[in-house]
Amino acid sequence: MSTASKRLAVDVGGTFTDLCLLDEATGRIEIAKTPSTPDPIDGVLRGVAELGVALADVAVFSHGTTVATNALLTRRLPRAAMVNTRGFRDVIEIRRGWKNELWDAYRDVAPPYIRRRDRFEVRERVDYAGQVLEPLDLAEARALAAKLRRRGVESIAVCLMNAHANPAHERALREVLAAELPDARISLSSEVLPEIFEHERFSTTVGNAVLAPLVADYVKRLESRLRADGYAGDLLILHSGGGVMTPSSVERLAVRLASSGIAAGAIASRHIAAEAGFPNAIGLDMGGTSTDISLTYQGETRVTKEWYVEFGYPICFPSIEVLTIGAGGGSLAWIDDAGSLRNGPQSAGADPGPACYGRGGEAPTNTDANLVLGRLGEQLIGGAMRLDRAAAQRAIEERVAKPLGLDLREAASAMLRVANANMADAVRLLSVRRGYDPREFALVVFGGAGPLHGAFLARELSIPTVLVPPHPGITSALGCLLVDIEHDLSTMLLGRADELAPDALETRFRALEDEARALLDREAVPPEQQAIRRSIDMRYAGQWRSLTIPVGRPIESLDDAVAAFHAEHAREHNYRRDAAPVEVYRLGVRAVGQVPKPGLARAARGAGRAEPVGERPVWFDGFDRALATPIFARAALAAGASFEGPAVVEQLDSTVVVPPGAHARVDEWGNLRIRVS
Amino acid sequence: MQSSRERLDPVTFEVLKNAFVTVVDQMAEQVLRTCHSFVLYARDFSSALCDAQGDTVMQGSMDIAVHVGTLHFTAKAVIDAFPGDVHPGDVFLVNDPYLGGTHFCDVRLIRPIFAEGELIAFAQSNGHWADVGGSVPGSFDVTAREHFGEGLRITPVRICDRGRWLHDVVRLIVSNTRAPEGAEGDLHSQSEATRVADQEIGRLVAKYGRDTIVAAFAQVQDYVERLTRQRIAALPDGSWSTVDSLDQDPRLEEGLIPVHVRLTIEGDRMHFDLSGSHPAIGTFLNGSYGSSFSGVVTGTKMFFPDVPLNSGFYRAIDIDAGPVGSVVNAPWPVAVTGFCSGAYGKIVNAVFELCGEVMPERAIACCPDIEYLLVGGRDARLPGRPIFMWYDWMVAGWGGRNGKDGANCTSSIFGVGEAVQPCEGQERLAPIVTSEHAILTDSGGPGRFRGGCGVVKGGTLTAADASVMSYCCDRARSITWGVRGGLPSIPHGAWLNPGRPDARYMGAIFSNVPIRAGDSFSRPSAGGGGFGDPLERAPDAVLEDVIDGYVSIERARKDYGVVVHAVDPDVDAFEIDLAATARERARIRAERRGWLEEDPEEIARRYRAGELDVFDLVRHYGVIVDWGDGRLLKRSTETFRAMLQRRAVAHWPTPA
Repeated sequence: MSTASKRLAVDVGGTFTDLCLLDEATGRIEIAKTPSTPDPIDGVLRGVAELGVALADVAVFSHGTTVATNALLTRRLPRAAMVNTRGFRDVIEIRRGWKNELWDAYRDVAPPYIRRRDRFEVRERVDYAGQVLEPLDLAEARALAAKLRRRGVESIAVCLMNAHANPAHERALREVLAAELPDARISLSSEVLPEIFEHERFSTTVGNAVLAPLVADYVKRLESRLRADGYAGDLLILHSGGGVMTPSSVERLAVRLASSGIAAGAIASRHIAAEAGFPNAIGLDMGGTSTDISLTYQGETRVTKEWYVEFGYPICFPSIEVLTIGAGGGSLAWIDDAGSLRNGPQSAGADPGPACYGRGGEAPTNTDANLVLGRLGEQLIGGAMRLDRAAAQRAIEERVAKPLGLDLREAASAMLRVANANMADAVRLLSVRRGYDPREFALVVFGGAGPLHGAFLARELSIPTVLVPPHPGITSALGCLLVDIEHDLSTMLLGRADELAPDALETRFRALEDEARALLDREAVPPEQQAIRRSIDMRYAGQWRSLTIPVGRPIESLDDAVAAFHAEHAREHNYRRDAAPVEVYRLGVRAVGQVPKPGLARAARGAGRAEPVGERPVWFDGFDRALATPIFARAALAAGASFEGPAVVEQLDSTVVVPPGAHARVDEWGNLRIRVS
Repeated sequence: MQSSRERLDPVTFEVLKNAFVTVVDQMAEQVLRTCHSFVLYARDFSSALCDAQGDTVMQGSMDIAVHVGTLHFTAKAVIDAFPGDVHPGDVFLVNDPYLGGTHFCDVRLIRPIFAEGELIAFAQSNGHWADVGGSVPGSFDVTAREHFGEGLRITPVRICDRGRWLHDVVRLIVSNTRAPEGAEGDLHSQSEATRVADQEIGRLVAKYGRDTIVAAFAQVQDYVERLTRQRIAALPDGSWSTVDSLDQDPRLEEGLIPVHVRLTIEGDRMHFDLSGSHPAIGTFLNGSYGSSFSGVVTGTKMFFPDVPLNSGFYRAIDIDAGPVGSVVNAPWPVAVTGFCSGAYGKIVNAVFELCGEVMPERAIACCPDIEYLLVGGRDARLPGRPIFMWYDWMVAGWGGRNGKDGANCTSSIFGVGEAVQPCEGQERLAPIVTSEHAILTDSGGPGRFRGGCGVVKGGTLTAADASVMSYCCDRARSITWGVRGGLPSIPHGAWLNPGRPDARYMGAIFSNVPIRAGDSFSRPSAGGGGFGDPLERAPDAVLEDVIDGYVSIERARKDYGVVVHAVDPDVDAFEIDLAATARERARIRAERRGWLEEDPEEIARRYRAGELDVFDLVRHYGVIVDWGDGRLLKRSTETFRAMLQRRAVAHWPTPA
């Protein structure tokens, strides 16, 4: 047992690498932020150096990374091939046929990750029930293996029709291919995602095949460099489902990392809200170009099985459901051809950035509007960056105020109201649309720009409470600290709920659980820290989408599950059909290897009254003049401090606005709680 | 422009406009998550918010193209049918293509929305049900000449009276379908979608006040009208006309069936005139006024991709469908269910061609229409031999573009948002094993920018009895064409038992053909038409196409004049013979005009003798035959050759 007592979380994003170090002995957190590097590992180690922590003192190193996402987006992928049933090598290119840009005949769906020239066929066929209609042609398979070797293939996706119903041919192909190409990585669709519907299964498998060499290499290199610097613990990698895996699983399920980076923020907001006593939370991570929105209900973050990195190529593993919209601090306000005021989705990005950055940007952004209204100060990052108020005024004056016949403040305020309304619409899609009432939620705002907008958005949505965590700018990294090892396994089981025998379900569940425990054993999770959760995906017979219903063990009857399904259908979709037959679609098992959670230090209690460090005029809607608004320094606010809006709280990585009529208080976790109603 | 109440401030306007988008998108989500019909699940539905007059305020952003421009007609039909008799809690249902609808399968649920006792809006959910009765499973009776064989016609009817379901009416409707439970499930799903809209509008009214919301309904339409007119005003004035064709009227002598479209731009208005189109034909491929209106809107909208869709758009565009009784303005009781494969796509492509003249930067060659193959019967795999319906449509290639090849494998212009079904799902639900679902080599129309590739899909009937097959399709003779010198793709048409001695070419349109266990079938979807002279395509681009198998070595030479040698295909080693390519291109340039003058009878004879193939006939000689027996179709050939002269030859450089 090592004496290491620190936990380090690193979140590598496109622009910055965020680090969060927790000392378990004291519960204190230290943070660092460093630019991301071409080889992300350099940035990680630079950040470690900045924190000044010895890796030998670190017990757990957990890591969220966009390395897989970026590889898919930039198409810097290894030489991969696909092997299909004869007649079906184009499934991945045919997709489901549809486009997301319906009305633009000049914008296409991205091409498949594996080109047609690298997709091959073998003679074999299995039917819907798993019966072999045509045996695998082994001679043809061997000839194909030799061809793939000549082509220098590094990774192969084996995707046969109905392989979820009978994986024998895929397994036989693996043997033939492995004999000829011992170094190639082979992904079988029946192992990656043993579920019906060929495009979805194939697409997920192809994602795995193209990522496996890259991700495995990345993890191996990172692990060895960490080891060289003295780290002795497990490397935990955050996956899209909101859990972590160890390197041994990463290689097998590489595609689970495809949205690793996005999940961290959602996990952090769940944790922050839960500690603060809110089982229901909407997370709003607003950065420079976009905003990620997630939802946690009764302590569970919503997951989806339908997502993608590029439209047309679904990755059907459970993933934390994050709605990303093009609204950020750098989003541009513009007047369209018909004279209407718009906001985003175009962004000034980091370069040139908002007009007030003084780097040549001439178009007005949300950041410029916040500056003009006084909500944002002229100095950022403790004075390391100065904003040019005159440039912001000029941009808004020219591009928004004059065309609309508004004065400068009205124009700036109009820009932000449109931006907030757009974000509110997105939150509604994720909440109201799914049967959740925002009034029962807390809004957790983070990212550099989130705290500037959070209170206004909450009012728009009738959300009573806003939580601003202590370090809004590195909250995602904090999310990486707060996760368990998790694996999601599933199996198809189709049948009417009133006709299925409970013991048959129990047998299938047990088989899944055995597989799940084997995974956790391989990751050296002690049995007492293993937990298994079961669920059944159910639907009204004839429906296409199902709802996931948690169930207990053992299964003695499906009555409770059916009752829970009716209730969930009513909650999610507004109605129930008690007389309609209910169908079971899929069984799921989530295997959790509990990682002991750190206790975060409670903030020191201080005087109830907070002392402002300054004052400046700030404009708010509904007032015909700027209000003299106290400015607080976040670092100086102790737990228990409270004050009334209007107020502005400044800190290194963000600025918090508390509008008039709202009340703010620092809670024992250091969160700023803003009650807006 | 409609008079609006007090003009809203820019923020309230923008906020409400986006809120209306959210409302209709929430409706779509609800349908997608709760529907029963696989057709609905494949996204063949639409959602609309209409104002108190029935005009469309907002349509779903992922709605199927073919419903676009028709939802206000059905809302108005309900208003007309129930004057003074619309109440909170009511729900109406209508599927009548003669009242501005599309076809009987498109069932529209309409819920009035009230605020403070005043009717302010209608929410409409329109979805394609898997079956609405009629003489064949799936309600696609190709041979129907009148609507009575097609399915249940539902004029506006109340199904929910002030919150109380009229179960007797609902039962009457769903009992006239082959899948009553599924139909009832879809009815609930759609009804709930309209309730979602009711709730959301209620929330907006509570926040902003009724008058503001009603003003926003009008101003969002004014906004779109203003935007559209501004775009049109920037285009040159003038008049352009073209013609596209359906394959045939089986009651008449063979010959293509023309659809005429004339576009006139005057100031800030576009005027489309469909006069001169052929009289309604003896199959169900005719279009009613509503669907033709939709065809024009769909075609035009592709040239204004960022303009939101609502009645403001329709106000900037005049559409004259010409005299009643034509193939594009068919009245009751002319059969119209197959409009989606017939008249509709001809209008859309004609509009593409005309708008492409005016906006060359967005020009696109012909894109194939949707095709539906239906197999229905008894599933002998299951006890009780229940009815099965295998109802299949495919992706196709899209037309070549100005500077860009056409898109491969994309849902048809009927609805780019419509998904094709997974074969594994189909195999579970019906006793048919799919033999292949693959890109069809050489299916893209040759051009400097190649048309996208279509696909081929076939299957074998296994344990089934009492089974029949029907095909709703077109463009076996009026083949998907190229523009600016580009060439056509390939003819549509299904084969029964291909590769067997008893193989039979079935054509693109047939109904209720008996098939037995063990029978197989196959059919292609066309690729897009080519854009520009194929002899000007970069040889390297042709080589890449050969490596990927989009183009064969043989057609690389014949269609593009590019001579490619296979060196070591196993490792993608191919090379272009530059000298031979120069020679071949010169030869084709010199001879190709002459090919189009050769005696069609002789060409047909050489086709029957196996000396020429389908590609040669379509792309070199412009000769149309019955693709099964090789019989020359003389009149169709004449029209087809005239079309090639206009769209291809006129754009080829004159040989030196």
